[in-house]
Amino acid sequence: MTRMRSRKLQSAIALTLSGMAALFGLFWLGFILWDVLKHGTAAVNWALFTEDPVPPGTEGGGLRNAFVGQLMITGTATLIGVPMGVLGGTFLAEYARGRAISRFISILADIMVSVPSIVIGTFVYAVMVKPVKHFSGWAGAVALAMIMIPVVMRTTEDMLSLVPWRLREAAFALGAPYYKVIVQVVYRQASVGVFTGILLSIARVAGETAPLLFTSFNNAFFATDMGKPIASLTVTVFQYATGPFDEWKAQAWAASLVITIFILAITIIGRGIIRWKYGNK
Amino acid sequence: MNNGNEIEIEVKNLNFYYSGGVHALKGISLAVRRNSINAFIGPSGCGKTTLLRCFNRMHDLYPGNRYEGEIIFQGRNILGGDIDLIDLRSRVGMVFQKPTPFPMSIFENVAYGLRLRGIKKRADLSERVERALHHSALWDEVKDKLNESAYRLSGGQQQRLVIARALAVEPEVLLFDEPTSALDPISTAKIEELVVELKKAVTIIIVTHNMQQAARVSDTSGFFMLGELIEIDSTDRIFTTPSNKLTEDYITGRFG
Amino acid sequence: MTALLKGRSPIDLVFASMTALAAFTVCLIMLGVFVSLVRESSLSINKFGAFSFMFSSDWDPVKELFGAAASIFGTAVTTALALFFAVPIGIGIAVFVTEIAPDSLKGTIGAAIELLAAIPSIVYGMWGLFTLAPLMGKTVEPFMQKIFGGIPVVGHLFSGNTTGIDMFTSSVVLSIMVVPFIASVSRDSFNQTPSILKESAYGVGATRWEVIRDVVIPYSKRGVFGGAVLSLGRALGETMAVAFVLGNSKRISLSLFDAASTITVTLANEFTEADTDMYLSALYHLALILFTLSFITLAVAKFFINRKTEEHDR
Repeated sequence: MTRMRSRKLQSAIALTLSGMAALFGLFWLGFILWDVLKHGTAAVNWALFTEDPVPPGTEGGGLRNAFVGQLMITGTATLIGVPMGVLGGTFLAEYARGRAISRFISILADIMVSVPSIVIGTFVYAVMVKPVKHFSGWAGAVALAMIMIPVVMRTTEDMLSLVPWRLREAAFALGAPYYKVIVQVVYRQASVGVFTGILLSIARVAGETAPLLFTSFNNAFFATDMGKPIASLTVTVFQYATGPFDEWKAQAWAASLVITIFILAITIIGRGIIRWKYGNK
Repeated sequence: MNNGNEIEIEVKNLNFYYSGGVHALKGISLAVRRNSINAFIGPSGCGKTTLLRCFNRMHDLYPGNRYEGEIIFQGRNILGGDIDLIDLRSRVGMVFQKPTPFPMSIFENVAYGLRLRGIKKRADLSERVERALHHSALWDEVKDKLNESAYRLSGGQQQRLVIARALAVEPEVLLFDEPTSALDPISTAKIEELVVELKKAVTIIIVTHNMQQAARVSDTSGFFMLGELIEIDSTDRIFTTPSNKLTEDYITGRFG
Repeated sequence: MTALLKGRSPIDLVFASMTALAAFTVCLIMLGVFVSLVRESSLSINKFGAFSFMFSSDWDPVKELFGAAASIFGTAVTTALALFFAVPIGIGIAVFVTEIAPDSLKGTIGAAIELLAAIPSIVYGMWGLFTLAPLMGKTVEPFMQKIFGGIPVVGHLFSGNTTGIDMFTSSVVLSIMVVPFIASVSRDSFNQTPSILKESAYGVGATRWEVIRDVVIPYSKRGVFGGAVLSLGRALGETMAVAFVLGNSKRISLSLFDAASTITVTLANEFTEADTDMYLSALYHLALILFTLSFITLAVAKFFINRKTEEHDR
């Protein structure tokens, strides 16, 4: 009977430890979010969004340039990455469905999702910055798009694969060519899922810093010319946080808060939609 | 069939509710004699498997399930709150529809329950594993590959391995939940032979959808429908002169 | 390809080709990355050798002498330590979420843990630099020094000034970042354990923990391993969070409380400062090593995570 007691005790200890692991994870999440909230709210103000940086040591100023730059880079990346990703995913799930090539590209895309983003940055530097000898917003957008494409492609593939085959057969039976079946039936059926995938991919790239360091670089001034270096929130945070001035640190926290809220909000909304649409997964 | 008249398990007015509130067993009362083979038959969804899983409280793994009534096993109500489920389950073994070898070697599968009970000496383990494998008529087929993965055995062999695993801890009762439904006829015949052989050592309750199987192996048969026990009697009687019309219709294949 | 296009209307052909083109960009980009990294690092490869570069601890931009050993060392130590922390915690979380937590909490806790993966690495960096590093440097590390410092041999790992900007802090940050990957892949694998198998372990009289230890985890070990390898790949390539708290020092030190450098940190800090062709080429050489390492790691992870269902189908 003591053997039984010790087995039960062992079980209870192990289960408690696993509960503590979960608490531990939640603890870090809470710690980080609380920290960002605390420092960020102390520094966030209206000028942050409406004014451009002022020289260190001067009062006031904001990061309008970085907000605008971030929007332009992320927006352009989305415009490049989403069509490529959706079309590519369509190929994998429709035209090449079940073929080895589909599986191969799918696996390659999965690997590409996790390739170090800084490597993507060095690649884009080699093909878009070095030849023209200056950094540019375009290069930053392309770098982000490259990270986005495999993400969108894989979710699109998964979402289209969820559409039952007989739905396509029904459309084929009416004499529709495949592209019409895809655009009018399959896309419509999978639209929520694909849209959510796009949302999550935007959240994914909006927080990226490493691929922008050597592509769009940074710019202390307000600029909208994508052919020139352009500021982004993330690179600015990196520069300000490691810089010597207290005002910079405060603004870096404020910017971190804005990025975090934006990304977590999109992520939570996206996951909420998936849960609502596809059940508890 | 020694002490064939002693009662091993007595079910008294048992009601069972699944977590959704479904009333799956309605006022079941029956007695199971020691060292006998008892078959539960009936159309699917009739409650026979639900009843089987009451005997080792398998339902407790899922929250919200509820028992009412009593199941007396060796003088104690096993539905009582003071019952140690782990102890109960080591005395009431179970074999499932599909073979369920664990992801370990053949030897370790059979030794698993023994190790849980703290038997560590290699010699003891080997002896009891061998005895269990002999008992389940698998020894000759596996004695040279005890350290191979259990997944490499055929389906019928896996099922006999699982029976050996259950036997190794020397349970008093063995529950079979449609043990041959995933097997071919030859493997099925072997398992049936084994079941009959095993009743010398244990009390057996077997749920089956296969009428012939019930007729071939069991001493007593109970017929269930819609959560109720319609009739329970010696297997001969159930299959030749059932007293209930429903039983007769089912046996003769008029429904289900 | 031709079989795919046979008998289609012209518009369908155009559409099909567009989708194919889009899909093939993935191959194109991956190939392009590899080719351009090799080309850009050719100067360095010719001078220092593709492999001997990896074992040289030189890093002297003035004399133009470069080697990857220090960066590789830092990458290896921080990644290994991060996994050392993250694997048990990730598995613990997966166990809790699949086997223990009440149904009402399962989804919420799982989702919360996955939020850790959504927090941008730059935010981990900010938090690491301004909050965690001081905490580590002033409290945690001196405490650890007191406990382990006196032990022979092992004590060396905990020697030196505790600044908080070091390999230990970096590993902690990295481990928090990869925990969600291990947890979610393990959770998916655990969920694939057939309930009949678990029931039959309970049926032999196993306790809850014994069922998890002897059935659930062995049954899912391929997936769990794949999750750990995936996290390894993630940790190898993480840049910003580590760039804030590692200190970018090219000295190889055995103490976890010393600053160091990883491939990613070197790239982030020095890429735009590289003023000579050789310097830039050496940095590309580092990037090539990183790309190759993570490609192999991720491919291995993919292999394990993908295959598990096939094996278990029997």
